Amino acid sequence: MKILPRLGHPNLGLGVGLRTAHFPYLIENQPRVDWFEIITENFMDSGGRPRYVLDRIAERYPIVMHGVALSIGSADPLDFDYLTKLRNLADGVKARWVSDHLCWTGVAGRNTHDLLPVPLNEQTLAHVVARIRTVQDFLERPLVLENPSSYVTFASSTMPEWEFLARMAAETDCGLLLDVNNVYVSSINHDFDPVEYVRAIPSRRVVQCHLAGHTDCGTHAIDTHDGEVISPVWELYRLAHRLTGGVSTLLEWDAKIPPFPVVHAEVLKARDYMDAVVKTPAVAAAPSRLTTRAGSVVVPHPLAHGMVEVS
Amino acid sequence: MRKVQHRFECIQLWMQAVITHPGGVLEGVNARESRMHIDIDAREIETVITPSSAMGSVDRLEIYAKAYFARLLECLRAVFPILTRALGEELFDEFAVGYLEKYPSSSYTLNRLGENFSRYLDETRPPDESWAKVLVDLAKLEWTIGEVFDGPGSEGSRLITADVLKNIPADRRPEVRLKPAPGVRTLALRHPVLPYYNALLEGLDVLPPPSADSFLALTRRDYVVRIHELSPMEFMLLTALLEGRSVAEAVALVPIGIDSDIGALAEDVQRWFHNWSAAGFFQSIEIPSPPGAGRSVGDRESN
Repeated sequence: MKILPRLGHPNLGLGVGLRTAHFPYLIENQPRVDWFEIITENFMDSGGRPRYVLDRIAERYPIVMHGVALSIGSADPLDFDYLTKLRNLADGVKARWVSDHLCWTGVAGRNTHDLLPVPLNEQTLAHVVARIRTVQDFLERPLVLENPSSYVTFASSTMPEWEFLARMAAETDCGLLLDVNNVYVSSINHDFDPVEYVRAIPSRRVVQCHLAGHTDCGTHAIDTHDGEVISPVWELYRLAHRLTGGVSTLLEWDAKIPPFPVVHAEVLKARDYMDAVVKTPAVAAAPSRLTTRAGSVVVPHPLAHGMVEVS
Repeated sequence: MRKVQHRFECIQLWMQAVITHPGGVLEGVNARESRMHIDIDAREIETVITPSSAMGSVDRLEIYAKAYFARLLECLRAVFPILTRALGEELFDEFAVGYLEKYPSSSYTLNRLGENFSRYLDETRPPDESWAKVLVDLAKLEWTIGEVFDGPGSEGSRLITADVLKNIPADRRPEVRLKPAPGVRTLALRHPVLPYYNALLEGLDVLPPPSADSFLALTRRDYVVRIHELSPMEFMLLTALLEGRSVAEAVALVPIGIDSDIGALAEDVQRWFHNWSAAGFFQSIEIPSPPGAGRSVGDRESN
């Protein structure tokens, strides 16, 4: 079966993660930005100003939804109440696609609110594949899953992460979100070659790339999303761009967040790493609703209590 | 080292118990809750978690353990910034760690992480310390403000005006039921913490208030939370109406002493309705149709 580049999704260009700290600037200045990515759970239950601002932004810019709570690798049953809300939000903001992570966030009814790694073996692969199929059938659209940054590996793992992702994507027809910073962080933590990782990812299934800054702790690296992208990560991005032919690219900046123009300028640096000889493959109109058979980062909290009046 | 293949379900249950243990990874590995799933001690941890060239397995797991508390404490401080200011960050964090142990998150969203915090503070406070009771009320107020801020609101909805109620014939008013605007809430507290909250919000150094009943109504208009102080009777009447009771049923719940001035009370009620309507507390009015009419209940909205 011929696989379309990016699974048929458009290359939206260079986007920025939508953060509440930038709401006033975005509403007032309406800057020229290719697209925004939202943290799904920050808006799923919002009936207040965050959702109002999102709706205004969605009128003007393409929106992609990026979740942190699907917990596709958890041993717990899937949460269909959560999935229903996710589907409603995706319809409401006309999300171009919906992504989350290859991870679990909790078990036995608990949520650690962290993106925890799964053992990479046949048993987990079968479990994750079955759940992706269920979610895709429910959402009536392909899921896009990101490689997480991780800090432990398991004695019960039998394959590298890139092989797990490639087989998972092939068996489910899901898309991949290749976070080149996560590849780099995990390569430091787990002693593998990040170039080998990026080369082994099935490039036509990569729908999107993530860029971010991280913290080098000497013995390990932590995916802190709190600064500029470092040179080795940009080089991985250059490689990913060459292999994929160019995909929607987004910068995540979640701590010590600078003014919006600084964040935007950082993602625009990606232009310097796009290989000029690569032609972005032409793709037919993206299927918005396909029926298929197919680090430890503190997620910014959306509540803001500044707007209170007393009478 | 023995080689054991643990199922991923057991690994998840074990790992969660280890990284959420408040004593850290070593205590977590030895705790009963984790050993129920994988019965190993710290010396055998490499049978589950492999080391890297630079770090041992315990230290690698410790990254997740530290991140768990750091992330959730930061979130709770963001949800309760005024309470954090009142307590100081160190004491707040102590309470928060205890809270996370007793009420760990079970929701997909961090927005609900603090929903039981005031209850936890109330359950664990020293019984005779008045300052502790004040903090329970402050937590309640701050949580409710957050719920109203990001919950359903009346923006974009038509709300009834005082005139709509005035235009209903006097003999029909007792039967009226008022549909609250989305997000309107009443709150009864044992301390007048609203001025305390405002003073802390402004960065003032103030003492906690002494005990005294306090009644509030919270609503949101144009995405701004508005807080109204209520008298005890006003609170009872408004709460009853918000619960769906008719005007007559709600008024019947208000205690009237034998020496009460009924005329003054009637005037109060009229004034309250006027104020509540002006504040946008109600979305519509349901008036039972007169006998013989086709529909039993009518629905009237403002223009």
